[in-house]
Amino acid sequence: MTALCKRTLSLCLLLSLFIGAAYAQDDIVIDFYFPSATANDAEGIFQRYADMFEEENPGISINPVFTGSYTDTRNTILTELQGGGAGPDVAVMLSIDLYSFAEEGYIVPAQTFIDGMQDGDAYVSDFFPALMRNGVDEDGNVWAIPFQRSTPILYYNADLLAEAGYDSPPTNNAELVEIAQALTTDDRHGLLVPVAGGFPIWMYQSFAIAFGHNIVDDDPTAVYFNTPEAVAAVEFVRSLGTDLGVGPAGGAAWGDTPVAFLAGQAAMIYHTTGNLTRILGGADFEVGVWYLPSGPAGEDGTGYGSPTGGGNLYIFDDGSKSQSELDAIWKWVTFLSSPAIQADWGATTGYIAANASAWQTEPLASLSMEHPQYLIARDQLQHAGKEFSSYATITIQGIINGTLESILTGESADAQAALDAAQAQIDGILADYR
Amino acid sequence: MTGKSGAAQTVAAVLTGAIGIVFLLPLVFTILVSIRPENEPVTQGSIFFGSEITLSLYQHALNIAPWGLHYLNSIIFVGGTLLVQLFTVTCAAYAFARLRFWGRNLLLLVILLQLMIPSGVLLVQNFRMINLLGLFDTRLALMLPYWGSAFGMLLLRQAFREVPIELDEAARIDGANLLQVIRHVYVVNAIPAYVAFALVSLSSHWNEFLWPFIITRSEAIRPLTVGLNKLIKTTDQGAFYGQLMAGTIIVITPLVILFLLFQRQFVESFARSGIR
Amino acid sequence: MIAKVWRARLIARLLPYLLIAPTFVLVLMFTVLPAFNTVNDSFYKPARGLNAAGKSPQFVHLQNFVDILDDSHYMGQRFLRSFRNTLIFALATVFVAVPLGLLLALLLNRPQRLLGIWRFAVFYPALLPLIGAASIWSFIFSDSIGLANAVLRSFGHPGLNWLGDRNLVLLSVIIVNIWKQAGYFMIFFLAGLQNIARELYEAAALDGADRFQQFMGLTLPLLRRTLLFVSVISFTFAFQTVEQLQALGEGGPADSANLLLYLIFQNIAERRNWGYVNAMTLVLIAVVLVFTLGNFLLFERSESER
Repeated sequence: MTALCKRTLSLCLLLSLFIGAAYAQDDIVIDFYFPSATANDAEGIFQRYADMFEEENPGISINPVFTGSYTDTRNTILTELQGGGAGPDVAVMLSIDLYSFAEEGYIVPAQTFIDGMQDGDAYVSDFFPALMRNGVDEDGNVWAIPFQRSTPILYYNADLLAEAGYDSPPTNNAELVEIAQALTTDDRHGLLVPVAGGFPIWMYQSFAIAFGHNIVDDDPTAVYFNTPEAVAAVEFVRSLGTDLGVGPAGGAAWGDTPVAFLAGQAAMIYHTTGNLTRILGGADFEVGVWYLPSGPAGEDGTGYGSPTGGGNLYIFDDGSKSQSELDAIWKWVTFLSSPAIQADWGATTGYIAANASAWQTEPLASLSMEHPQYLIARDQLQHAGKEFSSYATITIQGIINGTLESILTGESADAQAALDAAQAQIDGILADYR
Repeated sequence: MTGKSGAAQTVAAVLTGAIGIVFLLPLVFTILVSIRPENEPVTQGSIFFGSEITLSLYQHALNIAPWGLHYLNSIIFVGGTLLVQLFTVTCAAYAFARLRFWGRNLLLLVILLQLMIPSGVLLVQNFRMINLLGLFDTRLALMLPYWGSAFGMLLLRQAFREVPIELDEAARIDGANLLQVIRHVYVVNAIPAYVAFALVSLSSHWNEFLWPFIITRSEAIRPLTVGLNKLIKTTDQGAFYGQLMAGTIIVITPLVILFLLFQRQFVESFARSGIR
Repeated sequence: MIAKVWRARLIARLLPYLLIAPTFVLVLMFTVLPAFNTVNDSFYKPARGLNAAGKSPQFVHLQNFVDILDDSHYMGQRFLRSFRNTLIFALATVFVAVPLGLLLALLLNRPQRLLGIWRFAVFYPALLPLIGAASIWSFIFSDSIGLANAVLRSFGHPGLNWLGDRNLVLLSVIIVNIWKQAGYFMIFFLAGLQNIARELYEAAALDGADRFQQFMGLTLPLLRRTLLFVSVISFTFAFQTVEQLQALGEGGPADSANLLLYLIFQNIAERRNWGYVNAMTLVLIAVVLVFTLGNFLLFERSESER
């Protein structure tokens, strides 16, 4: 609304007065930025949701804006706001970007809106706790609402496993390696873990957790990147491509991994649950889905591990928005996070519908009866850890990704030394916040 | 023809064919992949054809973005940029080539700064400037920073200086005013420089992604490159190469047809223009 | 009468300024002012830490430059790599794509069968937006399902991790750029070649010069200005066009194929790195400046030698 006025103003000062006046009586317009995290025509889906919402809520109109990848979207928002632009009203951004926005004072906590709800507690407690972990600050205030959430899971080609005499998927790293080696041939990878392509941290984290120590905890000023577990985890991932030879050295690329799996060129892959619908729909073999195999963590040595991932809904306000605008924004957020929409969104894309009651809602209820694979993705949440997030998230995540890549591609042979160096850089940055 | 030159001809022909085929391969496979079923990569079965020939990927790709609109936007962007550039550049080039005035060298030096500081490098600062002007997310914002071109000015200044001053004087004696002199004496004699400049300008803006991506949000004004970015980025679900290839073919086809139709005229006009 | 003369004089006086005004103002707004800001901002570190958004940046002298030149600093690592890559990338463009463009022009300047097809074959990459060209190559270079590896595997080679192997990524990006640019450069050479009078060659042939001698003695000197022009634009383009990285690995792994302008683009969003971004921009400007000036001097010298 204000952005629209501003633009008009610049074009013709005088005319804008009239136009501005005309718009003032019109709808509240909510600029909604979303990344292209799904290939299933996200724009079409959001337009459909927007139409549904506008019908229910006359006087509010939604302006969905596609803003590229997650990285593109984040850069778009930050550049716009830092350059003095209006920015979005609501955006879907990575759950880990909480501090990138909160630090700068660009977003407002959802908590203030929740406190104003009649059944605020019920609304919050319907979300799976694991999915709230990245949206809450250290004082327990809710900032962001889960929307398109996911975790990494193990996809396996059940036909290939059966051929080789394995009736069930690997449940721990030793079995994982054994089966992967058995299924590796000249033109087929046994296991692809997509750690190439700029974002190794997510997959890596699942190994770090399985080896016994997550690289983050609830304190946003703490990162644990050079623990023995962290070193063991990266060395394990590296060995998949080198010593064990079950995947390409340096790791598989994110985008290629599901394609190779569907083409039968990878027997098992680690990938996001957000891909479930595509993979189930595209495979001409029996697709198995299971928890990520456990590592040596815990007393019994069976530590399951997976971070959560995906995008949350953020509310942007620098204090200039009116109460009626904020109310409209919150309505849109609750609409998108409602069980009905979550059930639809989860069924269309494969993202984990974020609230428990969505799983009793159609179309997800019958879909998950038909394809129990969806339930595996949901149930793994009980083992899920916090996804990487800290102050100065972008920079620190960049350091972690760069370090992991240099280890995985063989540039840094000494993993411990590389992680120590990275940890020193990270501590230097976080010192600003301690 | 002697035997030796005959052998040279053969070598040249073979070399031409080899390079041509290597250059064509990406296009050929782009087409082949775009008509293969999505789940049959080239590594599976025949490298050329899948189990069936299908146009379904085109249907998907067409749905991803309003390609016609993006096309139009790109044309407006590169065309609008060039048109205004031609005007500003001609004026400035004439002044610097033929007029004497106080501060000439200093002003020239300031303008030449642009040649050394490509605007692409100043993304952030330029974004702030556009925002300050309130032009964010407008067509004007896309083009405005490029409307002054030191490169074009320099190219034309050089060309104008090579125009014999006698032509200028003769035209004035005939009663031509300044505009007429510029048009009939200078512009006409600098066509090669104009063509070279146009080619560089069109090509660089046609390729441009970062600036349009940062400065626009509305589909209605975003150029082709930003639309293509949509095909490339399917973050969570991996790559859809078939769709990507189909989209690329959709984008390239109109240009290819135009080029094939006007190929001869295109190359000959360059020849005639005599860019050196 | 006198007033009229005065007016005419005034107009004549003002005319040059009016003519250069549009260019000058735009350069001021979108080059000089931003560049000035860049220089200024490169001496500051933004406030960091909690509630930093409202605080003003801190003057740090040359610390930002020290940091980006420090290999153990997180931005230094990235900058130094990208800087090296950018130089390699630019040199590869100039020394491979430009000569290849010239070669193509020589080959395709003669009447021959299929001329139209060959000219199309080498020129169509130039028609594609860079980002579209790069997306085609992202498929070709894909590790498990890409064309390049499909071909390699059919010869029994296990295939290469084009976009995942740190030693190969930059090469992949350079290959794409050469493929994209060679045909574009060819057009300039083709135009230059067609302006060399046929009689010159006939005369040379009568004098007994063979083709190579004709090329060295006749074609090359006459194409010198084109060659210089194309080299200059190819070089500046190399610093400015980084769009292909958006589709080809985004500069990774670990910045092994990152280019300077793309690194700047990757970091502009984050306020805490603003000092670095501006410092890096200044370095980029300095490099382009040195090369542009160098080219000018070279150009001037070769002109005066004539």
